[in-house]
Amino acid sequence: MPRYPRCFRPVLLYVLLLGLLLPAVPTLGQATREDRDRETERRIRELGIGAGRDRDRSSRDDDNPGAETNQGAPLTEREIAAHVLNRLSFGPRPGQVEEVMEYGWEEWVRRQLDPASIPNDRVDSFLASEHRWTVMSMGDIFRSYRPAYTTNPPSQEEQDERNRNLDRIRRELQEATLYRAVYSERQLEEVIVEFWRNHFNIDQQKDDVGYLANHYEEQVIRRFAFGKFEHMLLASARHPGMLIYLDNIVSQKPLTEREQRLVERYENRNNIPRSIRALGRQRGLNENYARELMELHTLGVDREYTQRDVTEMARVLTGWTARWEDGSSYGQTPDSRGNLPDYGFYFREEVHDTNNKRVLGSSLRGGGEEQGIMVIRALANHRYTADHISRKLCTYLLRDEPSEALVAEVARVFLRSDGDLPEVYAAIIFSDDFLYRQNHRVKFKTPFEYVVSALRATGAQVENWNETREAIRLMGQPIYRCEDPTGYEDTAEAWLDPGVLVYRWSYALRLARNQVEGVRVGESLLANLPRDEMKDKLIGRVVPGGVSPQTNTVLDEYLRDRTSAADLLGLLLGSPDFQQQ
Amino acid sequence: MSPTRRDFLKSSSALMMGATALGLSPAALAQALREDGHPPTLVVVYLRGGADALNTVIPAGDQDYYSVRPTIGVPTPANAGENNPGVIPVTNMFGFHPALAPLHELYQQERMTAIINAGSTHPTRSHFDAQDFMERAAPGVKSITEGWLNRYLSATRTNADRDLRAVSLQSTLPRSLRGEYPVLAVPGYGADEAMRAFERMYSCEGNAEAQPGEAGMTDDGPRVGGGPATVEERDHARERQQEILTAGAQSIEKLRHLQGIVRNGGRPQGYPGGGLGSQLADIAKVIKAGEGLEIAALDYGGWDHHAYQGGSTGTMANMLNHVAQSVRAFHDDLGPLMDKTVVLVMSEFGRTVHENGNNGTDHGHGGFMMAVGGPVRGNRLYGRYNGLGRRELYQGRDLPVYTDFRSVFAETLYALFGFNSDERQFFPEFEANERAVGFLNPVAG
Repeated sequence: MPRYPRCFRPVLLYVLLLGLLLPAVPTLGQATREDRDRETERRIRELGIGAGRDRDRSSRDDDNPGAETNQGAPLTEREIAAHVLNRLSFGPRPGQVEEVMEYGWEEWVRRQLDPASIPNDRVDSFLASEHRWTVMSMGDIFRSYRPAYTTNPPSQEEQDERNRNLDRIRRELQEATLYRAVYSERQLEEVIVEFWRNHFNIDQQKDDVGYLANHYEEQVIRRFAFGKFEHMLLASARHPGMLIYLDNIVSQKPLTEREQRLVERYENRNNIPRSIRALGRQRGLNENYARELMELHTLGVDREYTQRDVTEMARVLTGWTARWEDGSSYGQTPDSRGNLPDYGFYFREEVHDTNNKRVLGSSLRGGGEEQGIMVIRALANHRYTADHISRKLCTYLLRDEPSEALVAEVARVFLRSDGDLPEVYAAIIFSDDFLYRQNHRVKFKTPFEYVVSALRATGAQVENWNETREAIRLMGQPIYRCEDPTGYEDTAEAWLDPGVLVYRWSYALRLARNQVEGVRVGESLLANLPRDEMKDKLIGRVVPGGVSPQTNTVLDEYLRDRTSAADLLGLLLGSPDFQQQ
Repeated sequence: MSPTRRDFLKSSSALMMGATALGLSPAALAQALREDGHPPTLVVVYLRGGADALNTVIPAGDQDYYSVRPTIGVPTPANAGENNPGVIPVTNMFGFHPALAPLHELYQQERMTAIINAGSTHPTRSHFDAQDFMERAAPGVKSITEGWLNRYLSATRTNADRDLRAVSLQSTLPRSLRGEYPVLAVPGYGADEAMRAFERMYSCEGNAEAQPGEAGMTDDGPRVGGGPATVEERDHARERQQEILTAGAQSIEKLRHLQGIVRNGGRPQGYPGGGLGSQLADIAKVIKAGEGLEIAALDYGGWDHHAYQGGSTGTMANMLNHVAQSVRAFHDDLGPLMDKTVVLVMSEFGRTVHENGNNGTDHGHGGFMMAVGGPVRGNRLYGRYNGLGRRELYQGRDLPVYTDFRSVFAETLYALFGFNSDERQFFPEFEANERAVGFLNPVAG
């Protein structure tokens, strides 16, 4: 078994051995408690909310209504290869369409579904030399990137130094993200990771998330992207990055009315008893995470649960917080020698709400850390979650509004496999729908997809990512900086705005002319291009799916009196055809 | 989220059509337009990060202020020194931060005011939630995902809308302007060349008339270099391409138009260097060009002063001064057009009343807003102040909110555009009463 960072071990323990490790409650036999939890979990999953309305829909689904058939001519072999590379990788590199045609697209996909089987030397050695944080524990990341203050208050120099390091770790996460997306041989992994990054969005601009997002990318998103959904959900729920980003870290059991009165009585007095002062510091429930857990991460919105369910869920999760391993609380400064202990999940019992709760129609007795784990597991395997995740994945991989029949079929696979993600991906990719013509070239690339696909299509070598990061920011999608917990959308509706294309055109022209600082397009790309073959050859290399008649005409006009292959390349990268995938 | 959002839009646009049919279209706007071709204009300046209210409009008459701000407090005029300027008194209790001197003159001319203890009814101290709630004018309602200014534009949309009814001259739209109504964000360097290069490719000449999916589309030749194209059924890929072409063509057209105005607008006078000043200078040009600009919004970030905020001088003082100089220059630049223009300055929340251990302040609750322009009923402050005693503070630590920002927004839309937000049910779960604050005179009528 590989070595995991210490802070992460509790998660793994629960994930792998949950049933065996549930702490015994003295008054109850372990088995009793376990049985009761299992029973509650089952009820939340199966009987909970909305038994009526949606059941009707799923019974209709059994007959597969709304199933589509192919509209138009079947995709040609070449189109299939281009389609596969557009959707299941960040776009073809020059010559890659031919490779996939030769290899067989299904075989290519099967290998991609098992990323670890694909050698990835270039990325591995780059990360090992440039991005050591990819294998660091949270504590090591803090120790490496957050220099200790030696004076109080800290001097301006010390603060500047700390800010420089914070900028550095944030930048490194963006660069590593881009590097992997462009150069990884495990392209399906990269495409899938981008999906979960947005599904379980955190924002590196918020407080200490700037340090934690790097660890989160490795140990939550990447670690479980080809595992079980439940495991990724639990890992995200227990990661300090998420707990800080969505404020669960400050969520505490609410004061009772009696306590509230006590606090108020002593409010303006000079001698406040210590116990009451402690009460006064409690801030009460923060529902932010509980709400997003249900609305965004699992069930989806408008699923018949109520504000009351959200509040009760927040009570279940009180005390889910983070701290330094020595017991000092979140935000603690280093000890006198400047050392920081490890950072990690911490169940803070004294702010946890131990009263009975009622979530999604199920009663939960008492409290405890395992109560939250149990409810999250139930949410992970809820059929609304299966529907929500399947719909989002179909939207991402196939079409902005996928057919209900496909979504239902994929959701069935999700439930049957207990959220086994590679099985879910395979259900979409190997569905009949995947190769229907109506799903071909209908996705509008997000800014991230656009830029990464341009770098891949041109075989670019990147020494310096600054201008590329900035270009993506200007296009509206700065990496790991989506403030909204929704993450970035991946539909045309969200991105196809007036103005946004101009940034793409600028980047396309600058990239093609090698004007982007520290980026050079592959030498072979513009080699061996006699004038009369220039256009067709370049199209074949860069947009192997071909271009529309209008684009073709404009390129012909351009070539009538000019001959710059670089500019022709820029035009191709900025063409409407290259915005589609 | 989006089904909820669409439902809301559907109902609000149905409402709008109903209102138009009943002849409720804003009369004030029509009249103002008739006079000189310039509609009233609202310019929203957003100070991102939570600007500290207590060191902007300062209760210098309250001794408690100096006990909660021992280090970063701004002194009374009597205690001021050469390098430590004092507050500019405006009432018995309050004074402006000395950096606001350029706006204080406008205050005296009854063209500027501030609203104290204003903000959100929602308790969040998270930047992004507070900004979202405020810029969507829907505290606690996450199903509303469009900005309040965008929703206003949609709700009053007509076929005669001008291209430049709303602009933001920064590369990404402030959230208040995001949404269904198309508002242009302006790209920076390299845009001209990119537009020239792609003008033909995204030209709608050959295809503008052909609606996506309709028969009779021009140019039905085979895809070049790829497989066979098919026109047997709807061509979904082609529909998508049509949308992309249209977006591209629109970008070029609108940007060219805007650039022409900015280029021909002459050299701006009196603006300080920096983003806020130059954006306001360009917005002034668009207003003066008579292109029908109603709404402009811009961001000024960096107000999250957890440490080293400074007092009379220092980081925040410099930023306040930049705001004051920029807005003052904008006011003077517009001349008589300023009579029906309002600049509204706001931030997501105020900061803690007590300074922290780092000569800064942390996220708080109640904040301030400022308004500049002809319609402003200045030379007095608005809002309620009950002192800084712990019982008067929100959760014992922050300024309370006595004026809901939605009241300010509602009054602004009413005074400038005659838009009655209550009749339109514009703010979810909120009745505004369009004259609740009383800080603006209606522009017309």
